[in-house]
Amino acid sequence: MSGELPYDRVLREYLTGELRVLNAHLPGKQKSLADLWDEEYPHVLCNDGSVHLFKQKELRYLASLIDSDEQKALMLPILIEVNTGRGEMAVLCPGVVGEKVIQKVLDMPLDVRGERITLYRPQLALVRKRLKTTTQYVFSAQL
Amino acid sequence: MSQLIKVTRPTKIELIKLRRRLTLASKIQKLIKDRVSILVMEFLQIAGQTVEVKRGLLDDFSALYKALSLAAGYHGYIALEKEFTASEGGLEIAAGLRNIGGVKIPAFELKKTKQALRGYSLIDTSSWLDRTAELSEKCLEAIVELAELQRSMAKLGMEINRTKRIVNALEYLIIPGLQATIKYLNMKFEERDREEKSRLKRVKVLLERK
Repeated sequence: MSGELPYDRVLREYLTGELRVLNAHLPGKQKSLADLWDEEYPHVLCNDGSVHLFKQKELRYLASLIDSDEQKALMLPILIEVNTGRGEMAVLCPGVVGEKVIQKVLDMPLDVRGERITLYRPQLALVRKRLKTTTQYVFSAQL
Repeated sequence: MSQLIKVTRPTKIELIKLRRRLTLASKIQKLIKDRVSILVMEFLQIAGQTVEVKRGLLDDFSALYKALSLAAGYHGYIALEKEFTASEGGLEIAAGLRNIGGVKIPAFELKKTKQALRGYSLIDTSSWLDRTAELSEKCLEAIVELAELQRSMAKLGMEINRTKRIVNALEYLIIPGLQATIKYLNMKFEERDREEKSRLKRVKVLLERK
C-alpha cells in the first residue's frame, strides 16, 4: 500500500507472518484413508517441507467407523478451520464421509452448512482428543 | 496508563491512518487470542494424557518388577540373563512432526516387529518370563508415548508464554495507545472547530460594528 507508514507495515507483516506460520503445516496434498492404510509409515508432506505422521492407532479407529468404499473417499488430514472472532470452528470436509466420521466420533447430530460442519469448543476438544494426528487446524483471518 | 503515540502532524490523514492501524491491531489481537485458546486447550489435553500415561507406566513398572523378581527366583539370575541376551533385538521408532497452531511437536510411534517368538526357548522357560517380556514391551510403548507427550507439553508451554506476551502487549499497550491517540486527535479537531467558530463569530461582530 502506498503511503503506508513503517509502523503499519510492521503490523501488517506481523499478521501475514503469523498466518504463514500458523498455516505452514498444511498438507500439500491430502491422502485418502485407503492410500494411507497401504503405507508403511503413513504420512503427508506439508507446505513447509515437514512430514506429518499419522498414527496407526488413529487410522485403525477411523477405519473401524467407515466401510472400505468410504475409506477411499475420506481425505486426511481432516481440516478444521478456525475463524477469528467466532466462538465456533468449522470442519472442512466435502462429502458425506467426513460428516459421518465426525458424527460418529462425537456421537451426536451435527450442524452442517454446505461443506462445513460447525463445531463448538467442547466438541472440538473431543474431536482433537480422538483424532490427534488425523486432524489439522487452518487459521483464517480477513486482512 | 497508556502511552500516546507521537504523531508528526495532527491532521485528518493521520487520523485515518491511525484508525486503520487500530483495525489491523484488533484483527491481530483476535487472531492471536484464538491461537492462545487453541494452544491452551491442547496443552490441557496433553497434560491430562501425560498424567494418565505416567500413572499407567508406574503401575506397569511395579507389575514388571514383581514379575521379574518371580522369574529371577524361578530361573536364577544367570539363566535369566542368558535368556534375555538371546531375546535382545533392535527397536524401530517412526518419528515425525505434527503441528498445532504453528507449534511443531514430535510424533513418535514404536513399530511392532512381527516376531512369532521372542528369542528365548519356550521349553526351558516359565510363563513368568513371558509375563515379564510382555510387561516390558508394554512399558516400552508407554515410555515412547510419554516422551512424545512431555516434549509436546514443554513446547506448547513455551509457545503459550511467548504468545501471551504478544497478546498482553497488544491488549495493554498498542491498542490503548492507538485509541488514546485517536481520542486526542478527535479532541484536537473539535477544539480547532470551536476555535474556528468563535473566530468567525468575532469577525462577524467586528464587521457588524463597522
